[in-house]
Amino acid sequence: MSDISDTNIVLVGNPNTGKSTLFNLLTGLNQKVGNFPGVTVDKKTGYFKINDTKYNVIDLPGAYSLNPNSEDEKITRNYISDTTNNDLIVFVADVTNLKRNLLLCSQIIDEGKQVILGLNMMDLLYKNKQEINLEKLAASLGCPVIPINARLGKGINKLKESITNYQVNPTPFLTESNNNTIDDTMLRFKKIDTILNDCVTNKGENKSYLLTKKIDNILTHKIYGYLIFLILLFIIFQAIFSWSSYPMDLIESGFIWLSDFVATNLPEGVLNDLLVNGVIAGLGGIVIFVPQIAILFAFITILEDTGYMARVSFLMDRILRIFGLNGKSIIPLLSSTACAVPAIMSARTIGNPKERLITIMVAPLMSCSARIPVYTILIALIVSEDSTISIFNLQGLLVLSLYLLGFVTALLSALLMKWLIKAKQQSAFTLEMPIYRAPRWKNVGIEIVSKVKIFLFDAGKIIIAISILLWVLSSYGPGDTFEEIDKKYVQNEQQLDKDELSSKIASEKLEASYAGIIGKTIEPTIKPLGYDWKIGISLVTSFAAREVFVGTMATLYSVGDEDNTKSIRQKMMEAKNADGGKLYTTATTLSLLIFYVFAMQCMATLAIVYRETKSIKWPIIQIIYMGALAYIGSFVIYTIFS
Amino acid sequence: MTLDTLKENEKGIIESISDESLAIQLLAMGFILGEEVKVERIAPLNDPMIITSGDNYISIRKKDAKQIKINKT
Ligand SMILES: Nc1nc2c(ncn2[C@@H]2O[C@H](COP(=O)(O)OP(=O)(O)O)[C@@H](O)[C@H]2O)c(=O)[nH]1
Repeated sequence: MSDISDTNIVLVGNPNTGKSTLFNLLTGLNQKVGNFPGVTVDKKTGYFKINDTKYNVIDLPGAYSLNPNSEDEKITRNYISDTTNNDLIVFVADVTNLKRNLLLCSQIIDEGKQVILGLNMMDLLYKNKQEINLEKLAASLGCPVIPINARLGKGINKLKESITNYQVNPTPFLTESNNNTIDDTMLRFKKIDTILNDCVTNKGENKSYLLTKKIDNILTHKIYGYLIFLILLFIIFQAIFSWSSYPMDLIESGFIWLSDFVATNLPEGVLNDLLVNGVIAGLGGIVIFVPQIAILFAFITILEDTGYMARVSFLMDRILRIFGLNGKSIIPLLSSTACAVPAIMSARTIGNPKERLITIMVAPLMSCSARIPVYTILIALIVSEDSTISIFNLQGLLVLSLYLLGFVTALLSALLMKWLIKAKQQSAFTLEMPIYRAPRWKNVGIEIVSKVKIFLFDAGKIIIAISILLWVLSSYGPGDTFEEIDKKYVQNEQQLDKDELSSKIASEKLEASYAGIIGKTIEPTIKPLGYDWKIGISLVTSFAAREVFVGTMATLYSVGDEDNTKSIRQKMMEAKNADGGKLYTTATTLSLLIFYVFAMQCMATLAIVYRETKSIKWPIIQIIYMGALAYIGSFVIYTIFS
Repeated sequence: MTLDTLKENEKGIIESISDESLAIQLLAMGFILGEEVKVERIAPLNDPMIITSGDNYISIRKKDAKQIKINKT
């Protein structure tokens, strides 16, 4: 993993004690996020150098004890119990709550590890007018004790000094061993009490919670609490859907410019075509969502950073539990309205395995931003922009109902799974209510960048690959069918004018291409939903990612309009079905909308579900149940409206 | 009596926690046998509740609180 000559420093501590702050302080820009082998907990590693010696720093997930209660805590336990390494542990403790913090510290000492105790939040200790005798504490624990303030960077040099000069022979904390965990823990607390009585003078009192409790009187209030949460949700949605339109328009025109530029400046041919219609089109389809994802995660990080998210979980737990979910499910469900990929990753914080699994299974039913372009283009086909019901814009209402439909279906599916999935183990829902703190803007920035990166690279890879595949499928056909078509028309050259001719050739080629063949093959299956083979092609390509629908439509209907004088909307409006009637009737369009609300059409999400559940079973079930919902829902709607 | 029966702002001493894994978890979060626990707040639908002990401040479901035997003070 690292050079033998390097020293590994491992940061361990309870959640919310300032570990990440210290980690950032120690490593600065020299850090990266990876994964612990076999599991999906983020592993943050970095390094710093002193006099040419390199120190690797590893930030372990926060834990309360070595008796794990969640995926995160298991990682920390396994890392500490691993006797093959000789890493130096920097235990980060919140000095205002030493008793609880020292429990884990004492357990680590008894694992025979080399420990430095970093007492963080010293500023708060002074504010509380408490005093602590560091020498005595160090002597009783048998390890160096360094006071720090990670927020302001105080004490860091002392800490580094202690790291470079480390030479202590660990002495066990508990002399008598006890196999019963509860008794063992009680013994530890008893000894910690004795030590703290000796070392800490309690002149003042802990003031940190006074303000927090006052704020909680409002934020978790029976009425205002929900009201404030609703207003916040409204602001977040407003931000995602209206503030983001400006950067999204910019990105869109940027890509139009780019594809124009490439199309005109590269020599005509296969490469040009592949770049413009395959790669750039696919890339544009992903990058366009970056503003929405960035805005969403900015809000989520701020809400988590301040401590507000824990209150939302508290307020929502009882309601969500009816559906087999958990107060913490609110974060993944909310994030899913931007993109299910990071949302499903954020379900890791849910300790209860069954509730976590259900959250992962239903999150993709929430309408994500990839569905927005599909909704937009389809709705415009059946409702004109300025039609209203009293003061409400009808298009807006329709979009809202699709969102609600997804949300309600997610809850109902969760309810069903609650009955079907067997719980392996019971797990309690305990959630610490952190004290309110100002958000760390730098942390918000880091979080946004890392989430956008995951989206661009994890999802992007697949979308680009499929875009290229799609391009191949629609540009080539079996055998020499394409040449036959060319030949056929050479003879007719005189009768038709040039444009008409090339459009005829192109549409006939598309029909004969592999994509056309696939579309025609599935046509009988999707006919009951009101779709033809061209829509069939879109359904197939959308399996990669929903927004590919719009691109596919553009490709399918651009055939016959070489100068691109009409918008996709106009072209779809004019599209005819086999009998020569209008293809996108109200029935067909609504049916297609319903299909996109329900169907599991996202390779990236499936990949992440597989990674998070470590089983191929769950993504497969997801494809099937969401597919069934889509098929039946669309069929019912089509039958009603036609 | 058990913790779930307390109303907002009532206190008690933790006597025992019947579920072992819950006991281990709560102990590590600073809810220690023999120490005082206070019900700080109960959620609008009567569940979950926020409890405090010392400087520890957590939310817990009623079903789990039922496992915690207390002596009301
Ligand atoms: N007052 C004070 N706050 C701190 C100090 N160190 C960290 N914090 C804050 O404590 C909170 C939790 O820190 P974080 O690094 O996320 O903790 P982690 O969960 O252990 O990684 C953040 O709001 C920090 O700004 C400190 O020395 N003093």
